[in-house]
Amino acid sequence: MKTLKILHMYADMLDLYGDSGNMEILNYRCSMRGIKCETDKYSVDSDMPDFSSYDLIYIGGGADLEQQHISADLLKCKEGIVKAYNEGVFLFLICGGYQLMGKYYRDADGNEIAGLGLFDYYTIAPTSRKKRCIGNIVIQTDITGEPVKVVGFENHGGQTQEVKTPFGKVLYGNGNCCASEAEGYFEKNVIATYLHGPCLAKNPEISDYIINYCINRGEDVPVELAPLDDKLEKDCRNVMLERLLK
Amino acid sequence: MKRLLILIGKIIVKMLRLFKRNAGNLPGIILWHLSGHKCVSMFKVDCPIIAVTGTNGKTSVTNCIAQLFEQSGKNIIINKEGNNLDTGICSLLLRHCDMKGRVKADYLILETDESHVPVVYSQLKLDTLVVLNFFRDQLDRNGEMETLIQKINGFCKTFEGNLILNGDDPNTARLGKANPKNKNVKYFHAMPYAFATDKAFEASEGRFCPFCGESLEYEYYQYSHIGKFSCKKCGFGNYEPYITAEKIDLEKPVFTADGFEYSPKLNSIYNVYNMTAVAAAAKLYNIDQKITNSVISTYTVNNGRMENFMLGDRETTLNLAKNPVGANMTLRVMNETSGEKELLFVLNDNVADGLDVSWIWDINFSIFERVTRVVTSGTRAYDIAVRIKCSGFEASKIVVCPELDKAVECLAETPGRKYVIANYTAVQPTRSALKRYISKHGGKSE
Repeated sequence: MKTLKILHMYADMLDLYGDSGNMEILNYRCSMRGIKCETDKYSVDSDMPDFSSYDLIYIGGGADLEQQHISADLLKCKEGIVKAYNEGVFLFLICGGYQLMGKYYRDADGNEIAGLGLFDYYTIAPTSRKKRCIGNIVIQTDITGEPVKVVGFENHGGQTQEVKTPFGKVLYGNGNCCASEAEGYFEKNVIATYLHGPCLAKNPEISDYIINYCINRGEDVPVELAPLDDKLEKDCRNVMLERLLK
Repeated sequence: MKRLLILIGKIIVKMLRLFKRNAGNLPGIILWHLSGHKCVSMFKVDCPIIAVTGTNGKTSVTNCIAQLFEQSGKNIIINKEGNNLDTGICSLLLRHCDMKGRVKADYLILETDESHVPVVYSQLKLDTLVVLNFFRDQLDRNGEMETLIQKINGFCKTFEGNLILNGDDPNTARLGKANPKNKNVKYFHAMPYAFATDKAFEASEGRFCPFCGESLEYEYYQYSHIGKFSCKKCGFGNYEPYITAEKIDLEKPVFTADGFEYSPKLNSIYNVYNMTAVAAAAKLYNIDQKITNSVISTYTVNNGRMENFMLGDRETTLNLAKNPVGANMTLRVMNETSGEKELLFVLNDNVADGLDVSWIWDINFSIFERVTRVVTSGTRAYDIAVRIKCSGFEASKIVVCPELDKAVECLAETPGRKYVIANYTAVQPTRSALKRYISKHGGKSE
């Protein structure tokens, strides 16, 4: 079977709320199915990688300070990432990674950090640092073809606006802006979201959407993913759904 | 006005006592509102105040420093119940002041929450601030860690008292440069112990120099981001230690600091750091060496911090883990024990824990050695079960028992060595559950 090639960007700087756990989960779910995963790491000091040679590019979230550190470096990668995205490489982006792919991020002091401009949305942090969207969040997404409730944890000041195709509908929590209806950004090869927790921990359908996309990209004969025993994950999610939605 | 507030406060304390209620925090909260949020400004304290702050180890170090002075025959006031916010400290002082708000003691030793250091000590004159470490902890309550460090750094910019800092934590060592005029900055430091590594072992903070942005280089890591670091570009980290722990042997356990040998009761590297901070305070205040020795060598805790129990004939150790660093330390101690063992992990997500439990993904469970079964419990029993499963531990060996008494029964069912990790609000209920098991089935607690 095909090997899944992953590029984990800025793992040493953008890793908040267990975001690196997402990679551990994808690796685990692949290994249970005999799919090999190869992960390369890219950070500020690394050589420029061939972004198009990967199946998945992953960027986690970080504190403001770390985000400033990487934004200039990320711009250097713009050409490669745009090309990879156009060729169908999957982009999985959490929080800061999500924000930096938009037009810009304006911080609490009014400084604008340029984004890659891959997508049309932009993010503005409220002038008060105390105003943040913090807490458990439940969204419903249809990306797998069926409604799936996704549970995570959000903590962001930035308000992301002009999102045309969100990842899901907010059932509990804030989403892209304080008390907003929509959460994240989605295209068939992009999941960008504020959900930490990590995002994939209790949401095996989302992990499998990503894996399924990656192993079938460019294949003529579709490959089916072997089902896994997800009882623990689903029980885990149900405990939170019971608590938050009832 | 101040006198009126003191009078009101004292009446509230008396009333609460009358109804046999704990006056730990409530009087302070009421005065906080009445005083325009400056609830400790009404007290007049003439004696030196020593404050201890940091993510891990505050309670231990505060208690030990208090013992240094107590055994020296001094009259001290300490917030023993861990009421470490401004309101808790206000309640404490209300109980110890006269009607004019004067607090009579030789020393005040105050455990102080990281985020409350500037609040409290802009109102009370601080003699010494001890800063132990900064780790990811309850991020959602405090906002980002950088904000927290900035707050304390802001306070340190004008502080001219003694600053005892962990020189092996870049997050705390940086505070030493906040006020270039302060000549009373003192760093404590430890030489590598047997399990120190040359690579970071766990997810860690502070990878970049806060002054020039360069990656920090480490000669060795003791645990997490604690170790001998320096910035090759601007020289951050090149300081002369005030006190150094060396010849650390945790098997015995024994270490020396400033040439004096200590045999602590607790065998962890973080205890060595805590006790080195205590030794630094002892040195600063010229405590008799015999007393320092007795405090460091006898200090132990019966509050779920490496506390031992016998569940029937099953040897069991309970440890509190408020964050990945604490949990990783317990896993290391487990691995350093030979033979097979089982783990009970109790995870809650109450307000005091921080509502978010994603920190469990920064625990490195892949290092598990000879762990034959895991039981999980608490309000987030399933989250920790999923986390351990995804580290590669076989799902069939994980038992989820959200209800604590059942979880303890389940743990004790099989023979062998047991370890229990519980987070902040879980630790006391877990102790009680272990004790209930013992009173029902036999065994003993320390």
